[in-house]
Amino acid sequence: MARSVWKGPFVDAYVLKKAEKAREGTRNEVIKIWSRRSTILPQFVGLTFGVYNGKKHIPVNVTEDMIGQKFGEYSPTRTYYGHAADKKAKKK
Amino acid sequence: MSDRIVVGSLAGAFGVLGEVRLKSFCADPEAIADYVPLSTEDGRIFRQIVLTGQTAGSLVARIDGILTKEDADALKGLALYADRARLPALPDDEYYHADLIGLEVVDTGGASLGRVKAVLNHGAGDILEVLPPGASDTVLLPFTDAAVPTVDLAAGRIVADPPLGLFGDD
Repeated sequence: MARSVWKGPFVDAYVLKKAEKAREGTRNEVIKIWSRRSTILPQFVGLTFGVYNGKKHIPVNVTEDMIGQKFGEYSPTRTYYGHAADKKAKKK
Repeated sequence: MSDRIVVGSLAGAFGVLGEVRLKSFCADPEAIADYVPLSTEDGRIFRQIVLTGQTAGSLVARIDGILTKEDADALKGLALYADRARLPALPDDEYYHADLIGLEVVDTGGASLGRVKAVLNHGAGDILEVLPPGASDTVLLPFTDAAVPTVDLAAGRIVADPPLGLFGDD
């Protein structure tokens, strides 16, 4: 069952605090979080979070199209490397 | 940067008419046919690959010089290499994973931070997995203009301005 709309999106309080602190500062840093269950909010856009996957913090650069999803969706707990072949990487 | 890159492998015969099952590692699986000639470790060269269909997890193809099921089965497990020069040119801000892997990463002061082990993408942008010298644990560096201002493929190095705390410097 979907979460009731009247409750608003769930975010762990410490994530909000850390994001707010990072917004105030001028330091370029990865905000380390363990809360995979927190919803990505509009005020997180532009920040880079390090989302814990049980082993390490995966950098997640938040963009507008990620709003409403959970941090955990961008930090897989299993790694598959595969072959490089003709795969491309693009700088953001 | 290596001259040859693995683009697929042969997975045995498909049917009894000499068709092969072909595993493609390309972003667009069918693009493997555009990179001919493909070579193998044992020196074979395949100059023509015609894709005829697909089956579970692989493509079905007809390859020049393979006429029977026995020929196709004998090639099972062979990796297929394409010449790096066959890959199309990319815009300035795009790079092939094969070109980035193995490059040395240095900070803005010129100190070595390690080498690129892999390029990952979990849906939130590309990430360089860097193995620092003498370390067993890798560091994940976002592949953004801010964190990676310069990629110099000719010199074989990447200049990085990593976010604080990433390489244990906070």
